[in-house]
Amino acid sequence: MASLGDLERAVMDRLWSADGPLAATELRDGLAGRGLALTTVHTVLSRLEQKGFVVHDEGRPRRFRARGTREDHAAELMHEVLGQAGDRQAVLARFVGGVDPDEARLLRALLAAAGPGEPTA
Amino acid sequence: MLPATAAALAVLAALLAWPVPALLARAGWPPRDPLVALVCWQALGLAGGLSIIGALLVHGLAPWGASLPEALGAVLTGRPAGTPVRGDHWTTLTLAGVLATELLGVLLLSWVRTARTRRRHRELLELVVQPAALPDARLLEHPAPVAFCIPGARPLLVLSSGMVAELDDAALAAVVAHERAHLREHHHLYLLPFVAWEAALPVLPAAARAHAAVRTLVEMRADDVALASLPGPAPRRTLARAIVVAAGGAGGAGVPSGALAVTGSAVGDRVVRLLQPPAPLPGWARALALLSAGLLLLVPTALLLLPAL
Repeated sequence: MASLGDLERAVMDRLWSADGPLAATELRDGLAGRGLALTTVHTVLSRLEQKGFVVHDEGRPRRFRARGTREDHAAELMHEVLGQAGDRQAVLARFVGGVDPDEARLLRALLAAAGPGEPTA
Repeated sequence: MLPATAAALAVLAALLAWPVPALLARAGWPPRDPLVALVCWQALGLAGGLSIIGALLVHGLAPWGASLPEALGAVLTGRPAGTPVRGDHWTTLTLAGVLATELLGVLLLSWVRTARTRRRHRELLELVVQPAALPDARLLEHPAPVAFCIPGARPLLVLSSGMVAELDDAALAAVVAHERAHLREHHHLYLLPFVAWEAALPVLPAAARAHAAVRTLVEMRADDVALASLPGPAPRRTLARAIVVAAGGAGGAGVPSGALAVTGSAVGDRVVRLLQPPAPLPGWARALALLSAGLLLLVPTALLLLPAL
């Protein structure tokens, strides 16, 4: 049994690669290899809608499409990570915060000056 | 007449509000033992809150009794005040209530807000990333060299494709070890109170200073933990290289311009610390620092609980 996260990713992949909006039955058929019940597809879709990743139209049957591309979501995430304010430090721990170009140059010079050996205390 | 306990707590609160954090932030020893310094900062924050709220409470309750247990007992059993209750007693009681509510409320709010933002980040991540070679790591398609981790019940470690492209295997392992150290030692919990109190007390310069110091110290601590687990002949250099790449992208070594000894920023301090490691703190100094942290907590607690002087 695949986790909901896996199913969500699979459904999003379908929606992203589709030419237009898809109905739930089409999604089920497209994911035939997984043997999903229609209710499961609806559950996954409503979870994705709650998260703001999917929208549906008012047609009958309803047709679903992704709200943004995969790149849009990646960009949104990176925007938050790269532009993190001080309070975001508690949200996620970034390996290195940004530094200005001057300092980046200083750091590289420092590294070069230290030579290849292992420094000792 | 101010009870001696309230006066002593007020003096302690004043010391902890400015001179003590200023001294600790400027001290040279914390980079030599980040963990002990982190313990000191936590003790300082807790003792500061305890003494300021305690001072207000003891003064406000003075008409009911000379010490906090006595006065609280009197109030709870409905015993009338022994001396007239003046306006300043009500004022300090109100202030104590407001301050306690604000500090705890902001802490709670911070907790809720960071948890919500983390959930959102995790949802986005689950959608856009691919599993990396490591079970708990994810690969994010992006040219910028970025690595980060999202703490929580289901921690996630994320590397950007830019980071993977810039670094060799040894440096990448150093980055992963650093982020895993954050997760394993729950560094976000050390930071949370300082984030919250900086938001609650924007007028207090010590709050911002404490937050910045703690942020740098958890990075240094994670560097230390990462070094211990790195194989290879020169782990310090490997980690320093990874930091420099992540900080400014790769590229040829630039022209050294001016003195390098002090770069000023936290990232620079980390690199200098890796390349020119300071001697570890001797055992007696560690013991002294930890003892001071313990005393810092013990003094306001004792002042509050023991009968007034």
